[in-house]
Amino acid sequence: MIGEHAALTLLERALSFSAAQHTDIYLSSQDLGLTRFAGNAIHQNVSHSNVTLNIRAVEGQRLGRATTNDLSDGGIGRAMAAARRNALLMPEDPAFPGLPEPHPAPRVASWDEPAAACPPQLRAQMVGEVCRQGAAEGLNTAGACRTGAQEIAVVSSRGVRAYHAGTFAGLIVTARSDTSAGWAKGGSWRLDGVDAPALGREAVDRAVRGRNPQPIPPGQYPVVLAHYAVDDILEALSLYGMGAQAVQEGRSWMNGLQGVQAMSEPVSIWDDGASPDGWPLPFDAEGVPRRRVEIVGNGVVNVPVHNTYTAAQDGAASTGHQAYFTGPPIASNLFMRPGDRTIEQLVAATRRGLYITRFFYTRLSHNKGCVMTGMTRDGTFLIEDGEIKHPVKDLRFTQSYVDALNAVEGIGNEANLVLNEVGFATRVPALKLGNFNFTGATV
Amino acid sequence: MDSLIARALDTAAARGAGYADARLVETAQERYSVRSGVADVISSDESVGIGVRVVVDGAWGFASTNTMTPESVDRAAAVAVEIGRASAASGGPPVDLGPPVTSRGVYSTPVDVDPFGIAPEEKLALLLETDGRMARVAGISARQSNLIFIRERKTFANTEGAHVEQTIYESGGGIQATAVGGGEVQRRSYPQSMGRQQGCSGWEYIRAMELPANAERVASEAVALLTADHCPSDIATTLIIGGSQVGLQIHESCGHAIELDRVLGSEAAYAGTSFLTADKLHNFRYGSDCVNITADSIRLPGLGSFGWDDEGVPAQSTPIVEAGRFVGYLMSRETASTLGLQSNGTMRASSWNRLPLIRMTNVSLEPGQWELDDLIADTDDGILVDTNRSWSIDDRRYNFQFGTEVGYEIKRGKLGRLLRNCTYTGITPEFWNSCDAVCNSSHWNMWGTPNCGKGQPGQLGHTGHGAAPARFRNVRVGVMR
Repeated sequence: MIGEHAALTLLERALSFSAAQHTDIYLSSQDLGLTRFAGNAIHQNVSHSNVTLNIRAVEGQRLGRATTNDLSDGGIGRAMAAARRNALLMPEDPAFPGLPEPHPAPRVASWDEPAAACPPQLRAQMVGEVCRQGAAEGLNTAGACRTGAQEIAVVSSRGVRAYHAGTFAGLIVTARSDTSAGWAKGGSWRLDGVDAPALGREAVDRAVRGRNPQPIPPGQYPVVLAHYAVDDILEALSLYGMGAQAVQEGRSWMNGLQGVQAMSEPVSIWDDGASPDGWPLPFDAEGVPRRRVEIVGNGVVNVPVHNTYTAAQDGAASTGHQAYFTGPPIASNLFMRPGDRTIEQLVAATRRGLYITRFFYTRLSHNKGCVMTGMTRDGTFLIEDGEIKHPVKDLRFTQSYVDALNAVEGIGNEANLVLNEVGFATRVPALKLGNFNFTGATV
Repeated sequence: MDSLIARALDTAAARGAGYADARLVETAQERYSVRSGVADVISSDESVGIGVRVVVDGAWGFASTNTMTPESVDRAAAVAVEIGRASAASGGPPVDLGPPVTSRGVYSTPVDVDPFGIAPEEKLALLLETDGRMARVAGISARQSNLIFIRERKTFANTEGAHVEQTIYESGGGIQATAVGGGEVQRRSYPQSMGRQQGCSGWEYIRAMELPANAERVASEAVALLTADHCPSDIATTLIIGGSQVGLQIHESCGHAIELDRVLGSEAAYAGTSFLTADKLHNFRYGSDCVNITADSIRLPGLGSFGWDDEGVPAQSTPIVEAGRFVGYLMSRETASTLGLQSNGTMRASSWNRLPLIRMTNVSLEPGQWELDDLIADTDDGILVDTNRSWSIDDRRYNFQFGTEVGYEIKRGKLGRLLRNCTYTGITPEFWNSCDAVCNSSHWNMWGTPNCGKGQPGQLGHTGHGAAPARFRNVRVGVMR
């Protein structure tokens, strides 16, 4: 941890090295402790910290970049000179809108000292509890427990001054028998938001109930999706089309659907980087405050998220979604509005269908409609006459995620936070979908 | 810098580590990207740091720092030992590294032309020219071209006496054209998809790609795909798969499946496990007689080429599949010990602040005897597909489904109409056992995969895959909806 004063002082010092017309610097820092376990024992246990300065230098309508983690005067000076040199190499870009003006970002409390200071012994205790639960049922548990802190800060010659520090804690558990597997995942910016015993019980329960799965033929089935599977749907819709660059290039699932009711009426999806209910990051890598963006409202596809560059192309304002130093704008703090059904009610409303814990290795098959293929994993069950009947072997699906969300027949009443390793978070409920297309089965 | 490494090892040993290694890595990277006429990114990136790995009381600990001072290195070593003690307290079998590793020496990727010696203006001009040629083709909605150059200086030492210094160079580049129209989106890439083709080589590698000379063809193919016929829907047919797609097929269905840490369950909660369990070694028919697969770290310009791995084990070559029979794994010192074997040098970390993991080196399908024209002429009815568009495989590496950018119908031994949205799916051993022909060395190329994800915290590995076009019988194609 650097701390606000030291981080901003470092960036001011770095800015003083710049000979460019304009410069901004994005500081990204992480202190991570991570304990991995497998076979009911710890096998990897690491700690690392790093501070990276990401520099953008502007000369006229030209922008050059450099990064460094060498924070000595020599290291920073080299990087500053490289960024300006790179800018001078660039052809002028008439569409370049310049670096963003300063806008105050909201302060969001997302710091938890126990998560920031969690020692390896405490992570080992959390993991040990899960391993004991698995061993008691004759299962092989594996997973990872991570804790730590992340800082971001932006200072620019246009007057941007922004700093945020947040913490994270997460636990992933897979429990396996010879014929089954169960999964659970919890994450929060608070250490006490990760309930290791409960997550262990959830994974172990799925693995126990999943023993001796029966094969089932591929085909169209109604499905009840646990929130883990819904997280995958929102992640894919984000990566393959909620950013303005994809829309401007015509390759987003949103193209042709903006203003159209393409999803079921109860479906509302928004991005909100400043919400303490997610994993808050109140401003982006350009220092622009992250605005709440209504991406789908009552089933109607609305607008994508922007960075400064894509916003200028559309005559709009940046929504603060330059998630990383380079690359397109990304919606990375997504929420789906919960409904009014318990998971038991969603299952009870299903005459014959499948309960899916999560999807695995999902990839885009076709841009239009966001057609994805992937596998089910770690707890797939047949539902008959409103009850979980028996476990089934995993299936491959090939399915438009847009069409899937246009067949929503019920929404869970709890929205759960799914915090992914790369700074991507969703808060999503379980769903019942009227139809899902399974195209293959595994051995 | 050597004094920092020695200090890390001394501090770790003094605090009780039974084994320690330290890896100091300095990385320089240049990135260039042009997007639809605009120089999108020119970036110069540097990173430096040291990682300290220890075994304490039979358990692993690891810590790292980017502050290159004796005090900071001492702290990192002390934290590594503390973490190792916490791991040991949780139980589990003690780490057995097998025989000591005492390698010493210096290695550098041989390059004809140092890519960092080429003026940035020349690199950018190459991309702008390539982009301009793609722009000549009407109907393209987005154009992207990029170059990347990496120089990694790495010093590794351990408490067993190993001390090796390496400088690894990588050069990569690629182009992509996207066409949109009639409710369809189509993309073509060159030399392959995944953003670019990359190898352990110098500027000569980029020159040989002839990016400008291929720009208009690539863009024209993307536009042609908009109105091409769809791949036949959900049929079983003969498939000839182009070299770059065979490379990815090897990566996903063989390369990951032979990682012994996956086999032993270390990646079970994340990337998954493997169907190639230890009982199958020397006792399983993975593919047909014409399937011969090798893992090596010596065949340049493969991205898995180096002098020593990140445990100091020398580069080498290992047979994986011989005439269809499964005979070898990718192994670390610790995992090899569990089978009574010795490491074949496959441990690599993506950065100084990441723990080394078993990573694919250059996992390649050895060439066969066929000329591609003869193979097509020998195929009565089928489809030729190439250049990956999507890839998915289950957690045991059995059930896969791939999409390709382009397909061509084969009828009575001749290539016919262009096909769009081609996909194929199968079960790994059934698929490789259906292989009845592999093209010869004149069609064989070393493909690079610079984005192989594995581990927690995540690491992007760089892997090589030599491959030539190959033919597979009775493959299910055309699964789209």
